[in-house]
Amino acid sequence: MRLFLRQLGALVRLSFLDLYRRKDLVTVGALALALLVPLAALRPFGVAGADRYVGEVAMGLIWLFSLVIAIALGARQFPPEFESRTIYPLLARPVGRSTVLLGKYLGAFLAAVSATALFYVLFAVYRGSTGSGWFPSVLWQGFVLHVCALAVAVALSMTLSLAVTMSANLAFSAIAVFGMFIWGGRLPELAVNSPLPAKIALDVVYAIAPHFEFFDLRQRIVHSWDCVGVGVMLVVVAYAVLCSAALLSIAALLFRKRKV
Amino acid sequence: MSKIIELKDVVKSFGGTRAVDGLSLSLEEGGVLGFLGTNGAGKTTTIKMILGLLSPDEGTVSVLGGNPADPSVRAGLGYLPEAAYYYPLLDAPEVLAFYGRMSGMDESTIAERTEDLLEDVGLAHDAWNRPLKTYSKGMLQRVGIAQALVHNPKLLVLDEPFTGLDPLARRRFRQLIMRYRDAGGSVIFSSHDLSEAELICDSVAILRRGRIVFSGARNDLAGDASVNLERLFLSKLAESGDEEAKEALK
Ligand SMILES: Nc1ncnc2c1ncn2[C@@H]1O[C@H](COP(=O)(O)OP(=O)(O)OP(=O)(O)O)[C@@H](O)[C@H]1O
Ligand SMILES: [Mg+2]
Repeated sequence: MRLFLRQLGALVRLSFLDLYRRKDLVTVGALALALLVPLAALRPFGVAGADRYVGEVAMGLIWLFSLVIAIALGARQFPPEFESRTIYPLLARPVGRSTVLLGKYLGAFLAAVSATALFYVLFAVYRGSTGSGWFPSVLWQGFVLHVCALAVAVALSMTLSLAVTMSANLAFSAIAVFGMFIWGGRLPELAVNSPLPAKIALDVVYAIAPHFEFFDLRQRIVHSWDCVGVGVMLVVVAYAVLCSAALLSIAALLFRKRKV
Repeated sequence: MSKIIELKDVVKSFGGTRAVDGLSLSLEEGGVLGFLGTNGAGKTTTIKMILGLLSPDEGTVSVLGGNPADPSVRAGLGYLPEAAYYYPLLDAPEVLAFYGRMSGMDESTIAERTEDLLEDVGLAHDAWNRPLKTYSKGMLQRVGIAQALVHNPKLLVLDEPFTGLDPLARRRFRQLIMRYRDAGGSVIFSSHDLSEAELICDSVAILRRGRIVFSGARNDLAGDASVNLERLFLSKLAESGDEEAKEALK
């Protein structure tokens, strides 16, 4: 047990170093968000309008960058290990493959959460400075569900990274994640109004695709609406856990079968 | 003395090619076994089975009294891979710390060992805190040797340890292996560098096309002064039907 935790810790650390040493993703995201501050200060649409507008753009950017980071982190945990053959000295250590998988998943997930938390702090500072309250409860709720979305996104791209090439994985993961995030909620409505073959396809997609739209509280945050009920929160969190666990089970199977 | 490594009638194929073809091999505790053979003879494949990275199609592999596919058996193994690629964004102490943690070492022991080992392998001090992507080939090989030793394993498995090292580094590394052996460790290493192998091994196994064509103690060779390792290597290959080796012997 002690060894297991130690190994998880080491793998998590490795993912963090990877994200922050490369600098690319997080820096771009943080810079983009920081650029919104002068825009807010100029207040082009009057005080209230500007706040809402900038808030909406900022939330959109936060989701965009965090999901891109999550997909990229999940996708690049395994392929470089195989390509540069670092997987050999790693698996020659007293570690099981499922531990390596879990450690890499947790590392990518927590690294994505840390970058997202940084973005939320920037957002809170901006909102607080405009007098809308620093850390309202709805922002916390939004963050928790955002973290759930990251968990599923990392699990998805990590699982696919063990099955298909990097570029196929990135393309497919991006389509699945952003497609569902933006249009997932409208699929049933679309299906009703479609001819039969398309209807079946849309129904199937709705049934099996991970529902990233469930995690989206942007409107409530931007407009300072009420919180979501505790029951709904619990159901959505449970959904994220189940979804990630299912994806990771497939990943474990693929990794165990894989010849190194 | 107990057997540290024991392979019996091991077969491993990739598609149509039999990379390892009925190989039996053993290493006694405290021994240094040189594993020699032509390119593609099956050395790396055998080593991967010893490490539990590959499982044999036929035969049995026993390492440190257990099956290396079992993670706990691998706790006593140190491995230097054939090509030295490690995490390019980490520096040498971070790499050693990573592998040390994977082997369950605590932080203070890791810190101590790191300092000692990087001194021992002679990694230039100004490189210690640079990312590995800035290292030369020999510097990477030194880090590789250090990571194989970091957790003080019972058995060292080295796949071509001398490649990319300058003469001084080779000498240093030879001494490191000797010290490790004197402290009770066992070593199996593959090599193409016969003069280097001659200096450190106490037994050799020569592999050709997945089969052992010679195995014996180093002492048996020393008796006949004219038999150095290169001659032995060529004559054993020639005996097993290798035309190129026959040609070279003439
Ligand atoms: N993953 C693999 N897929 C297919 N063939 C393989 C694989 N790994 C090794 N082989 C083949 O098995 C044979 C033995 O390879 P191996 O790497 O064990 O040789 P080696 O003795 O280490 O050679 P070298 O001295 O060149 O490192 C070769 O014919 C090689 O092409
Ligand atoms: Mg080899």
